Amino acid sequence: MVELDHAFQTGKPIGENWEAILDLERLVPCVEGGSVIEKVDPEQVKAEIKVKMGAMSLKFKGTVAVVEQDSEAHRAVMRVKSKEAGGQGHANADVTFSLSDGGGTIHTAAQITGKAASMGEGVVTSVLDALIKDFTEKLANI
Amino acid sequence: MLGPENGRLTVHTRKGGAAAKAGHDLLIEVTSWRGTLHVGDETTITLNADARSMRVREGSGGMTSLGDDDKSNIEQTIDDEVLKGTPIEFRSTACEFSPEGDRMHVSGELELAGRRAPITFELSLSGEQLSGSATVKQTDFGMKPYSALFGTLKVLDEVQVAVDARLEGVQ
Repeated sequence: MVELDHAFQTGKPIGENWEAILDLERLVPCVEGGSVIEKVDPEQVKAEIKVKMGAMSLKFKGTVAVVEQDSEAHRAVMRVKSKEAGGQGHANADVTFSLSDGGGTIHTAAQITGKAASMGEGVVTSVLDALIKDFTEKLANI
Repeated sequence: MLGPENGRLTVHTRKGGAAAKAGHDLLIEVTSWRGTLHVGDETTITLNADARSMRVREGSGGMTSLGDDDKSNIEQTIDDEVLKGTPIEFRSTACEFSPEGDRMHVSGELELAGRRAPITFELSLSGEQLSGSATVKQTDFGMKPYSALFGTLKVLDEVQVAVDARLEGVQ
């Protein structure tokens, strides 16, 4: 299990940020290589992420669901469950958003198995950290 | 005149970054190039290479071995994002032989990715065999070394360019 904490800034009011992060069709594409395949219901989508590793790429397919939301505290938990396309690996994560005016924080608890994990936890942590940092920058324009 | 018919021009890249384990060190062959060596009062060397003729021959390291598709993807990336088919040209400005005559110190100017920069390297002459290698620093030419995985996997700035050619019968 890899746990990471990040902060992000949007410069927008908390209500607007709250609406934006709960809209999975807007949120998922903020992850580099991520896209929504199908909206299952307002709180769940089928999605995939293609992670380019130079010449090669790894693709994970699965679901992203809002499993907890507290509109008073502006806190939401998204659960990512995915499987490596054509492989045995999994990439699962609980991503907790805590919003404040102008931005918020993200706590990620991820579990990666298979080919990606064979690089070692240090590498997985570095890549995930870079991926989430990139995500937080894109959140500014959501 | 030297070229692929009597020599081999190769580029060796190395991987770096936190996720270097995921990448490969590459041996790339330049398959279309022309070189000249003129020995006289003033010894000169020239080289022209086609940036679109790079072929990935070997990839070492990495989590899985490089397949033919992966190699084509790298070649496509070189063409689209790295060298973009720009001319590669070297002209020597000074060539000095060692007292034994078996080595040559070469200084000159290299055009790469649309920019010119000075470069120096050593060549060895052994019988009819000419060989040597030069270190090319991509940022000296305004290039941003290729990176992936959000910058955690990258090609190191310095790449080695090697030449190995047979001078026998060369006009």
